[in-house]
Amino acid sequence: MKSLLAGFVAAMSLLSADFDWNLPKGFPRPVVPAGNPMSAVKVELGRYLFYDKRISVNGKQSCASCHRQELAFTDGRAKAEGTTGQAHSRGTMSLVNVAYAPALTWANPELASLEEQALIPMLGEHPVELGLKGREREFLAVVRGEPVYSKLFPQAFPGESDVFSLVNICKAIAAFERTIISMRSPYDRYRWGDDRSAISDAAKRGELLFFSSERAGCFQCHAGWNFSGRFFDTGIAKESGKFRAPTLRNVAVTAPYMHDGSVATLEDVIDRYAAGGKVRAFTLTDGDKRDLIEFLKSLTEEGLLRDPRWSNPW
Amino acid sequence: MYTRRWLLLGVFTAVLLPGQETVRVSGAVKQELTLAADDLSKMPRASVKTTNNGMETVYEGVWLHEVLKKAGVPQGSQLRGKALASYVLAEATDGYQVVFSLGELDPAFIDNEILLADTANGKPLFGAQGRFRLVVPKDKPGARSVRMLTKLEVVQVRK
Repeated sequence: MKSLLAGFVAAMSLLSADFDWNLPKGFPRPVVPAGNPMSAVKVELGRYLFYDKRISVNGKQSCASCHRQELAFTDGRAKAEGTTGQAHSRGTMSLVNVAYAPALTWANPELASLEEQALIPMLGEHPVELGLKGREREFLAVVRGEPVYSKLFPQAFPGESDVFSLVNICKAIAAFERTIISMRSPYDRYRWGDDRSAISDAAKRGELLFFSSERAGCFQCHAGWNFSGRFFDTGIAKESGKFRAPTLRNVAVTAPYMHDGSVATLEDVIDRYAAGGKVRAFTLTDGDKRDLIEFLKSLTEEGLLRDPRWSNPW
Repeated sequence: MYTRRWLLLGVFTAVLLPGQETVRVSGAVKQELTLAADDLSKMPRASVKTTNNGMETVYEGVWLHEVLKKAGVPQGSQLRGKALASYVLAEATDGYQVVFSLGELDPAFIDNEILLADTANGKPLFGAQGRFRLVVPKDKPGARSVRMLTKLEVVQVRK
């Protein structure tokens, strides 16, 4: 039994190993949980589910209502709004490179599984997001009766006796979310490709400010190739506490900013950080600020915002 | 005469190549150095592999202790007594500074791996890395892996 299980796990990891992530050279592959190996058909299924408004209690919202592709999978609101109009206490986080996030959500270091996280907007009641709680069976019946799903579910979960389950819905959505990867911005082409003219001189000057411990020092929290980090209390937003340093990739299209959406523009964010908050203050001229913003804009991957692989398949 | 000629040549070189970036090695050294990438390429080369958020980078350059050796800084059996109360102040173009004691840079004391790097994955460093940087893979945080390195000053605390 044990060896059978080991064989199964090995076969599953092999499936994941075969998945084509289409990553630029040098970038790491995401870590995928053993219980939810990647496959192209599962990703496709997840994409249909992600854009399916029938998942919400009143048919008004899908995952994509708050995670809008053209806004790097955010919603442009200060605070998210559920399908019944209830306001969330925090802003929608981007799903870009979520496969690499060691922890999910703004403030819960314990929540690391995308499969588990998907249940929160579906079933959560404080606030109601999609409002699926209590009508799970109803939705599963809809799923079962949808021709697209009756074809894709058995292919995505081969060998399972009952493929139409909430667990599998979460797995498919998580698999789709893991493919939303941004590594091809102009800055990536400049920094890791060979294209020295991919970003402007202003962005190059901004890069120096971003990576200077003596100047802006942004990289100290927004670290590594994904410009992201753990939980910090910056004192910048209206609501205080320790919140995740999210990826800054595509940050130019994800306004308003901070976990509570309390800062409207990148200019304002920089001004507040410069003033200090609970972190080190720094001085920037107006020109420096423009340069820093140009650098942040060079992290926008236009292709990601329009790529049909992540668009509405319905 | 020759000296003057060389001096003139040096001045011309400095004028002709104004953008050439260098690392200055100064302070309590026998021989001050101004190292350009070309100088480093002629020294014993070494490399280290780092992993940052899953991304691997191979840095190549010269061990910092080799640079200090070239500048005549006491090493091995010479590194004793008052010389042991010396440190290297590494400085970046933006004014950032960190310190290493001579003892922690000397292979006779400890198997450390502190590299003065000039390439990453076979390509010359540029941009926010600077043309030169330090890579200190055994440090847990990256704070002493100084990017945009411009100066190494040896300071002898006990004279």
